[in-house]
Amino acid sequence: MGALAGSGLWRPVSALADAPTLAPHLPPLREEDALVAFGHTGPITDGGWSTAHDKGVQAVRKAFPKLRTVYVESVPYSADATRIFRQFVAEGANMVFSTSNYGDFIKDVADRAPEVAFLECDGVTVTGNLGWYYVTHWYPSYIIGIAAGLMTRTNRLGYVGTFPIPSVYASANATLLGAQSVNPGCTMHAVATNSWFDPQAATQAATALADSGCDFLCGITDEPAFLRVAESRGLKAAMWNLDMRRFGPKAYVSAVVLDFASFYIDQVRARLNGTWQAAANFLTLAHGVDRDAWGETVPQAIREQADAMRDRILGGYNPFRGPIRDNSGTVRIPAGTVMDDNAIYQWDWGVQGMTGLG
Amino acid sequence: MIGMLTALLSTAVLSGGVLALASVGEVMAERVGVTNLGVEGLVALGAATAVLVAISTGNPWLALLAATAVGALGGMVFACAAVLVQASQVLCGLSVTFLGIGLSAAIGHSVAGEPVPVGLAPVTVPVLSAIPIIGPAFFTQNLLIVPTYLLIPAACHWLLFHTRHGLNMRAVGENPAAADAAGIPVRAIRFWYVTLGAALAGAAGAYLSLAVIPSWSEGMVAGRGWIAVALVIFAGFRPFNAAAGGLLFGLISAIGFLGQARGWPIAAPVLNMLPYIGTLAFIMFPVVFRRVGRRGGEAPAALGEPYYRSVR
Repeated sequence: MGALAGSGLWRPVSALADAPTLAPHLPPLREEDALVAFGHTGPITDGGWSTAHDKGVQAVRKAFPKLRTVYVESVPYSADATRIFRQFVAEGANMVFSTSNYGDFIKDVADRAPEVAFLECDGVTVTGNLGWYYVTHWYPSYIIGIAAGLMTRTNRLGYVGTFPIPSVYASANATLLGAQSVNPGCTMHAVATNSWFDPQAATQAATALADSGCDFLCGITDEPAFLRVAESRGLKAAMWNLDMRRFGPKAYVSAVVLDFASFYIDQVRARLNGTWQAAANFLTLAHGVDRDAWGETVPQAIREQADAMRDRILGGYNPFRGPIRDNSGTVRIPAGTVMDDNAIYQWDWGVQGMTGLG
Repeated sequence: MIGMLTALLSTAVLSGGVLALASVGEVMAERVGVTNLGVEGLVALGAATAVLVAISTGNPWLALLAATAVGALGGMVFACAAVLVQASQVLCGLSVTFLGIGLSAAIGHSVAGEPVPVGLAPVTVPVLSAIPIIGPAFFTQNLLIVPTYLLIPAACHWLLFHTRHGLNMRAVGENPAAADAAGIPVRAIRFWYVTLGAALAGAAGAYLSLAVIPSWSEGMVAGRGWIAVALVIFAGFRPFNAAAGGLLFGLISAIGFLGQARGWPIAAPVLNMLPYIGTLAFIMFPVVFRRVGRRGGEAPAALGEPYYRSVR
């Protein structure tokens, strides 16, 4: 695993870092003296996002048996977050992970605890001791989109969204662009539920999408409610976070699966060795984020066609190339240019064929 | 058009059932003068219990029964504190909410996120299900729909307004001192109807985790217990109105999602506001209605007040 550090699997993002990366300055630690703290955005039993992060935490525990770890679930996006992160520091944490964006709530704590390493998922700020990490989920979304474009009969894809934020735009747009690459007539209908975790709202949203003619559901919720709707209505669905096929084996096509284990172990090891430095990191395809093994009802030909794109992306191909139009028809990405990860990370408009999403 | 209305009503009926059950239960508690703010916690407790029992026994009806019993047990804890000891109903209710949310997370931890193997399967009622729009919505979903919207509210309505016992119940809610003087056992009536209301809240939880979702995760009640409490005021403390309020609320949120899915030219945030605009309208409605001159819909006079025989 040690070979991972510096091997380029975590792609550093220099353009977004608003402070020059400092040389490693936090001293090495003995494993038995170190305390690593995790602040989860939801309950670790949500079966999705927080469960995926918790699996990473368990991998850290296994890799460093003498290391002490603590975690807090359901950290609210409020001043309470500051209190919780400050509590971690007060308890003597040497390294603090937050599994979602806490903005100034975490930066205030990091600024006052320069000897503690902070890592924020989905963050934007890099300082001397605060870095961030995120998954390039748009690549697996594009690959799954190809399968969606080939499997839909009505050419209407449904998207159970949460809030109109860049992650959601990137996820929905990537899926639709993938679908349109093989089936140009595809459109996508997005519904915002205003919650990352509200199974009943997601169920209602999915039912409304199914009732309006969508036969392929995808989305970005933290739980599997819309897969159940797809299963009971005889539709197809692609999920997020983890393998959820047991909730709907016939409907399940694939998922954007997350695996933070290697990254977490790598970062903790760097901190223990005294080589950790604050940076912005994108976890790349096949190194922290990937499509899940295809569902049982996905035909072999479709698997192969979608996986051919996966191989091309792994070979360095970027499918997000112009011309890309927004949903009013204006060309936003001209022919001959590509959207790099930074641009996709900040995506805030829907592509042509997208309705909903504010 | 017919297809869209059918789909809309089906979603509304299914998701409004949680509110309807919990709300009818709360009507019974408030009619005897006790505000139970523990509904949110009791629904969560019922939902977790139902999934635990469904997974271990494989029988959804046993799961429903267990959830109802656990809800009743939670209600008895509340009633011991708020009715027998006569502590503050508001504080006891809030405590029961926190207790229920915490306890459900603890007992449900092992099955969190697991699919329920045997939910309440859809059942088609012959003849009735052939009625256009209403038939598919009420008579093809699951066997709990008819009790939720018809049988339980009807039984509660009959009990409250067509029996001597119901008169006694209402007397306890309006004027416990007078009821006591007339020989009505105030504490016993309050205790048992709070327990009944809590049992229905537990059943609402089972309905949520067996028929609507069907799975248990922490936080999945997501404030619906509070909405059920608010609906009681809208319903003017009447069981049928409470069930109808649940249905209406389900309908409003279903319209919001349908509008987004169909790409209506209304901004998604506006559609997402509908339930809250609806709540405001719900609360204003009875007030406006009363101005027209008809009496009714007021809260029981002694609602929320502990009854001390010594100071009557």
